[in-house]
Amino acid sequence: MSPVIIILCVVSAVLALTMLFTKSPITSALCLLGVLIMTAAVYGLIGEHLVATIQLVVYAGAIMVLFIFSIMLLNLTEGENDFKQNPAVFIAGIALGLAAFGAIAYAIIRHFATHAAGKEMGIYSPEKIAELGGNSIVLSHALFSQFYVSFEVISLALLVAVVGAVVLAKRKVD
Amino acid sequence: MTNEILLQLLSAFLFTMGLLVVLLRRDTIMILMGIELLLNAANLSLVAFSKSSHMIEGQVQVFFIITIAAAESAIGLSILVNLYRNFGSINTQSATTLKG
Repeated sequence: MSPVIIILCVVSAVLALTMLFTKSPITSALCLLGVLIMTAAVYGLIGEHLVATIQLVVYAGAIMVLFIFSIMLLNLTEGENDFKQNPAVFIAGIALGLAAFGAIAYAIIRHFATHAAGKEMGIYSPEKIAELGGNSIVLSHALFSQFYVSFEVISLALLVAVVGAVVLAKRKVD
Repeated sequence: MTNEILLQLLSAFLFTMGLLVVLLRRDTIMILMGIELLLNAANLSLVAFSKSSHMIEGQVQVFFIITIAAAESAIGLSILVNLYRNFGSINTQSATTLKG
């Protein structure tokens, strides 16, 4: 377990907490941007270079620019967003979150304690990937051969989303 | 404790934070950001599991999820602009047209 990954995990956990509890939307958006960049760094550190690049370009680049642009366009101020909940609802939400985290963490630790030893491994070990020319080449080959139908369907879905976004943004509801 | 457990725990934590953002905040834009955080946590879990079990299907899945997330946020933000134009606010409490 490398210390750099521990630092990245701690920083992104702190950023996610800040995102939950801060009042202004722009601070939240910048914290989310930080979390996404930290995640991209984690992907890069464990050797998944293509996913790290896509995360950085699409998520941290395009999507977050869209969010920050909307916040700027709608001129959101701190008075607009209220974080003032009923205290009972707030405490119930926090308790639910803690319970969910506890349950998932218990399942993860139990999984790694019991099933990790006799687990079935795939054929793409790090040595095999290095021999085939690296992570990006292996993934691109899979995308354009084994998963090409999904790839085409995704491009159709993107086209539909573009048209839908334009129609929704132009329409006036009475 | 190895890298995989650490990454899975981080993914669980980010998922919880996204869930709480969706549940506790009242701004529509905060809810959309919470959904992005949820998707990011699921992506992290998929990549870590696919790395630790020497497969690439998880990473291909993450590639598709990121594409869908981009489409989803474009649609969501255009709905948000429409909401602001019609109700003058993006607070979820102000959109009451569907209330019976």
